[in-house]
Amino acid sequence: MQFNAALTGDAATLARQHGEMLARLPATVHAFILVELEKWPMLFGPEQRYQRALLEHLSRVPTGELDQAVSGIGRIEAESGVNRLGERNPARFQDEAQALLRKRGLIVDWRGEVDGFFQKVDPVLEATLYAADARRRLVVQLYGGGIAVQRDRLWKRFKGVGLRLPLNLEGTNATEPFLQALFGAGEPGRGGPALFAAAIESAPLDAWLIESHEALHALWKMSKTSETSETSGRNDRGTSSASLTGLSYDRLRSYRDDLTRALNRKIQSGVESPQAFAAYARSLQIVPPAGTLLYAPDILLAFVRDVLISGNGTLLMNNTFVEWAAIQALRRAQPRILVTRFGVRDRLKPFSSMVLFSQPRATDQIPVAQDPVGSFIDVEQLSYYVWLNAEKNPAYRKKTLYLFLAEGVDEMLAIRSDAPIAAQSGLTPARLSDVHATMAQWLGVSVPNGSGRPIVEILQ
Amino acid sequence: MKNPGLTWRRREALRILAACMADWWLPRCLFAQRTSTPRKRERRVIVVTFGGGVRYEDTLARDGWVNIPHLASDLVPQGLVYPVARHEGLTGHFNSTGALVTGSRQNVDAYGSEAPVTPTIFELFRKEHALPPEEAWVIATNKSFGLMGGSKLRSFGDPYSANVVLPKQLLISTIKAAVSTNAGPGVEDRRALAERMMLALDEGYEGFGWRVYESGRALGAELKATLAKSLIDYFNDPATPTSGDELTFFMTKEIMNRLAPSLLVVNFWDIDIAHYGAYSLYLEAIRRTDRLVHELWQHVQSLPQYRDRTTLIVVPEMGRDSDVAGNGFANHRSGDESCRRVWLVAVGAGVPKGAGTERPIRTVDVAPTVAQILGFKMAECEGKPLAELAF
Repeated sequence: MQFNAALTGDAATLARQHGEMLARLPATVHAFILVELEKWPMLFGPEQRYQRALLEHLSRVPTGELDQAVSGIGRIEAESGVNRLGERNPARFQDEAQALLRKRGLIVDWRGEVDGFFQKVDPVLEATLYAADARRRLVVQLYGGGIAVQRDRLWKRFKGVGLRLPLNLEGTNATEPFLQALFGAGEPGRGGPALFAAAIESAPLDAWLIESHEALHALWKMSKTSETSETSGRNDRGTSSASLTGLSYDRLRSYRDDLTRALNRKIQSGVESPQAFAAYARSLQIVPPAGTLLYAPDILLAFVRDVLISGNGTLLMNNTFVEWAAIQALRRAQPRILVTRFGVRDRLKPFSSMVLFSQPRATDQIPVAQDPVGSFIDVEQLSYYVWLNAEKNPAYRKKTLYLFLAEGVDEMLAIRSDAPIAAQSGLTPARLSDVHATMAQWLGVSVPNGSGRPIVEILQ
Repeated sequence: MKNPGLTWRRREALRILAACMADWWLPRCLFAQRTSTPRKRERRVIVVTFGGGVRYEDTLARDGWVNIPHLASDLVPQGLVYPVARHEGLTGHFNSTGALVTGSRQNVDAYGSEAPVTPTIFELFRKEHALPPEEAWVIATNKSFGLMGGSKLRSFGDPYSANVVLPKQLLISTIKAAVSTNAGPGVEDRRALAERMMLALDEGYEGFGWRVYESGRALGAELKATLAKSLIDYFNDPATPTSGDELTFFMTKEIMNRLAPSLLVVNFWDIDIAHYGAYSLYLEAIRRTDRLVHELWQHVQSLPQYRDRTTLIVVPEMGRDSDVAGNGFANHRSGDESCRRVWLVAVGAGVPKGAGTERPIRTVDVAPTVAQILGFKMAECEGKPLAELAF
């Protein structure tokens, strides 16, 4: 099938180079690839590399083999009539094809065939894209102070995976000293906590902070360099080697309000279908005010918008935002360092608490109350999902150290994805500076003035 | 803790609304018009869904009992449990409940703009026994269920459909209508009232991007007025409502008290708040549903028209995604086993006590089982009557 895709630059070149192969693919797969290529400027590096590898791989597969590999998808397209659709715009074709497959009751079968196809292709691509000796990665998940941690249920979802290690918090119970001890204080002239500054090299997208509130951002703001970056606002393309990527649900408040007001207006004026509503949401040109993001290139603005309009509850629930943004960052941008910090969410108000797309409500007189107990139950599940999703990703599998800490709690959980850490008893409590040194050694970076000692039980 | 000032203002507002409505809407005759006066049927069936879908692991599995204490401790010992049930169709709300009420998998618009394509239990029941509409009801928190009461088949449809009530939508329309009249307090008061009430009812998680489709069979004006009056009374009750399901529960009791229908399908749906990714709220909604089911069963026992002649069937609409193979509790789109694995609990008339069977069943078996209990034919459907319940 011939599509009219709006492609430019590298994407247009790729489509041209692999045009013959693309034309042999079933229309739904062909359209899917073109839709991805259309998004090229808004794709992160790993996404672009995947698309390139996919096209190159499929072009190398002999014609007969490729036809055989996609025959199941083609059969369902013929049975459903998808191959007779006249739409030439790949995105609109996708919508029409999905609707038709659903209408014919073939969506599940089609999805099965597509999954089967990619299950054969992806391992080949992964071997190309993710070298066994690739750099190590680090994912740290923090429960902010105020969450009502129940010690007997803490990290229960992990069912014994990893090592639980006692901590000696000595004077670092509160949020600020806790974070400073864990990540190291900012180094003058380098910007932000020393660990990140040393590890992110030249790419701000290599390290992400995603949080419900602002404590991690506050830590970053302590450095002069990051203050300079912030004052330059969203037009700053963030090329400074000291920048990193930061998303804070609280800091995005005015953006979320603007977004919800726009969506509410659309709903009030009438929505044809969920698909039309999603397309409208994607078309909105609203951007966060200057200074909201630590690093604000267009690709990140699009990322934040997509997280807020497509994630379940991300507009309304701070911790859901953290989880969904983290999962999307892991999947798409694949940062070397990811730090999430969950917080306390607001309690729902009786009968009126879930007013989607109509915030802020001037007439809402019910005072906001926090839900520390519910927040703990939520974040136990959400932090588990972040870990599960990271481990599904070849970029993280066998290369990542996962650390779980709760502010004010003298215990942590460490999971290495490359090797099981044997459970041990009678361990000497580690200081947060030791955890800091462990992270640095894991990443292979040196941090100045470090007083901690790497934790052997994790690194050995 | 509630804000007493706010509670008072709302009660006051509702009292004004009730006064405002009195001259205007209250029926001369309390009960709906009946097309005939057939003999009351002996047996009654109430099907209650854990709408939105719940995972087996969060409910009937050993670790989930804490979330369904009433079912686990009170109802299961009195009745029969099928721990292995499966929903095999599309895992959307309308199609999964559509399968429950038709006995066949449905594949219609997920947002409720289309009626089921095969006959519902309501139509078959009413048609075979020439029963009036008041004998069959759907009471749903999910506002996309307006067309759940009847199929789109020419030989069935509106003349034989169930009454469908979406309680929250009914209250919203009541308020809108009340504040649009000139009777009663001043216009400004009514505007303030309307604003306050609409905010109180605007639960967003079901407001995302779709409209409410009116039931094919419109409620009679007097019946509607009666129900609206009940809602106002409810809001004036000290037990302040807290959710859509509380309202649905209240409406179900009102309908039972006033009309004693033989067949009710009650859709609780607060559980779908899971889509917002807050696990604690999802579990809270499961516990609320469990409590409301128990209170409904107690209400059945308190009414002579229902006691000892009612079979209560409780079943989740569907499951939700697993953590590992699917997308987690927040979704029900993977089609994985967790998304399909459900359970069924039955209690009451004709149900063996304290029993259970590991025999796998399907959610499409519910409709022919209801047919067998209420004595109407349901020849062409995918499901089979559950022999333990339908004899």
